Amino acid sequence: MAEESFLADDFLRQLMSVGEVDLLVGIPTYNNAATLGQTLQSVEESLRQNFVRERAVILNVDGGSADETRQLFVQSGGRRDAGPRGLTSLRTTHRISCEYGKAPSQGLALLNIVAAADLLRAKACAVISPTTTNLTPSWVVNLLRPVYSERLDFVAPLYARSRFQGLLARDLLYPMSRAIFGQRVREIYCEEWGFSGRLASQCLEKEVWREEAVRARPEAWMAVTAIGGGLKCGQSFLGPKIAPPTGTDIVEIIRQTVGNFFWCMETNQATWLRGSNSQPVPTFGPDHELSLDGVPPSQEKIFELFRSGVSELEPILASILAQDTHAEIKAIALSDRSKFHFPAELWVKTVYEFAASYHHAVLNRYHLVQALVPLYRGQLYSFLLEHANASAEAMETQSEALCQEFERQKPYLVERWKVKR
Amino acid sequence: MKEVIIQGLRQAYSNLVRMFAEFLPRLLVMLVIVIVGLLVAYVLRAILRAVLHVTRLDRLSEEAGASRFLRMAALPSMTELLSRSLFWVTWSGFILIGISVLGVAGLQEQISRLFLLLPAIFIAILILFVGLVTANFLSRAALLAAVNAGYTSPKLLSWSIRFVIWALAVSMALEQVGVARQTVLAAFSIVFGALMFGLAIAFGLGGRELAREFLERNLRDKKKEKYEEPQPL
Repeated sequence: MAEESFLADDFLRQLMSVGEVDLLVGIPTYNNAATLGQTLQSVEESLRQNFVRERAVILNVDGGSADETRQLFVQSGGRRDAGPRGLTSLRTTHRISCEYGKAPSQGLALLNIVAAADLLRAKACAVISPTTTNLTPSWVVNLLRPVYSERLDFVAPLYARSRFQGLLARDLLYPMSRAIFGQRVREIYCEEWGFSGRLASQCLEKEVWREEAVRARPEAWMAVTAIGGGLKCGQSFLGPKIAPPTGTDIVEIIRQTVGNFFWCMETNQATWLRGSNSQPVPTFGPDHELSLDGVPPSQEKIFELFRSGVSELEPILASILAQDTHAEIKAIALSDRSKFHFPAELWVKTVYEFAASYHHAVLNRYHLVQALVPLYRGQLYSFLLEHANASAEAMETQSEALCQEFERQKPYLVERWKVKR
Repeated sequence: MKEVIIQGLRQAYSNLVRMFAEFLPRLLVMLVIVIVGLLVAYVLRAILRAVLHVTRLDRLSEEAGASRFLRMAALPSMTELLSRSLFWVTWSGFILIGISVLGVAGLQEQISRLFLLLPAIFIAILILFVGLVTANFLSRAALLAAVNAGYTSPKLLSWSIRFVIWALAVSMALEQVGVARQTVLAAFSIVFGALMFGLAIAFGLGGRELAREFLERNLRDKKKEKYEEPQPL
């Protein structure tokens, strides 16, 4: 078995002492001593109240914390409080902790979790982020239940968002993933998600764990693997997510997410090149929740960065984009700032041409993805300008229209993708 | 008198025949060496082409931006260029060996000099190629980083990086071949020193106010002016 080569002896011993389980909750950590206690409490409470008869294990995979994260995990033993219906778990919830390395890596953390899930023959698994400060027991059950009871293989979270939150996901990642892979899963880039033991075993067999795209954002690759493998995907509403700001270095985030998505497209091209329309997926709870709070960001600077990017990166953009697309972008960059509009059709064409150029490697791929940043800023500015006072419904309507535009232009992507260079 | 002339002509004729008799086998050997060289060069070119196709060098070259330069210079792809170079270097080597077999005294020395230079020329070409690829890659990385961070004059930064790497590569290549070693070293030092000195003067004297503003903005008031992008995920 693949996992025999990389799992530490001590970790294997702990896994063997647990035996088989029904549920596995993985908590990847790195210096999370401050918030881990609350996370553990919520996870244990959820297992105790909702899965009384099931065998469960909580697995901590640590990336070499310098604080007392691991000690805290091991020492904070579970209490056996009765649930709201007076029920208490009939079984012991096991706790296992391992250190997979001396530096944090989402990919390595997930690799250890799926290897453990495979060895313990877990039926349903969930990954929970210890940085979420408002995690409640309902989150855990909302991710595990659809897998355990409804037999889904991948369950993405749905978060309640403010209107200026998650704009990259709304304007690019969701519409594109929906159009390409044909499943309407809103959040494939997430920190909490659920998956089946079957999907864990399939993922474990893939030899992609050393790829940087998988190391950085393994959850999206896992979702794409599930879709590509014909497994059942769904999504579950969790509520608003509160986590300490992880920084908004848009270049790094686009490199990790969009770069990862282009990589997933390339490695799964056999599954999406033939597909056409998207299908809705089973959704537990509301499909979306958008609140109107939040302060609009500084728009002037965003437009400045778009305009200077289009001008300074002209030769790079010329090698990525089609001539007419490039000309249109240069034309809108010269337009009046107050009347600026980035048409959805042009945005979709631009993104698809970037994807095709990534496939044909017309440029170093890191550089290519970075060249998208100024154009994303243009699209962002257009969105903020047009939706400064829009209602939640209007924003959702616009989002749906953009998704449909991505689906409508998919044949154009396929055509450019297949062109021999 | 007549006999002396006939004797001389006979002597000359026999010398000529002897020379031909000595030269012809050498010429044949040379032709054989050239033909064998041609075959060996063909085989090596085919092997290198196959190996480079397997290692996807063209894709790497495309990603690094070297292919763009080759296209601009109307040159073939990287795989083709290297394969053809190997072909010509190999065949030229065999031709030179063949010529040396002829035993023409003046040529011998020149050929041995050329042979001594060949590895140095090859290494110089390699240095230039690596320099070109590195300069292109790093200057583009700097341009993208500067544009995305919103710095002023990103192209200047990018071209400075490209120029410094090119200058370094060219001076290293020339030194490798041994062309005016001291002159190249001195020229590089002068050009590089002048560039740095010029920048120091331009920024320090010409742009004193600008430099002060720049430093104040970037060091003292960095926290105040930090630009926050909306949460993307």
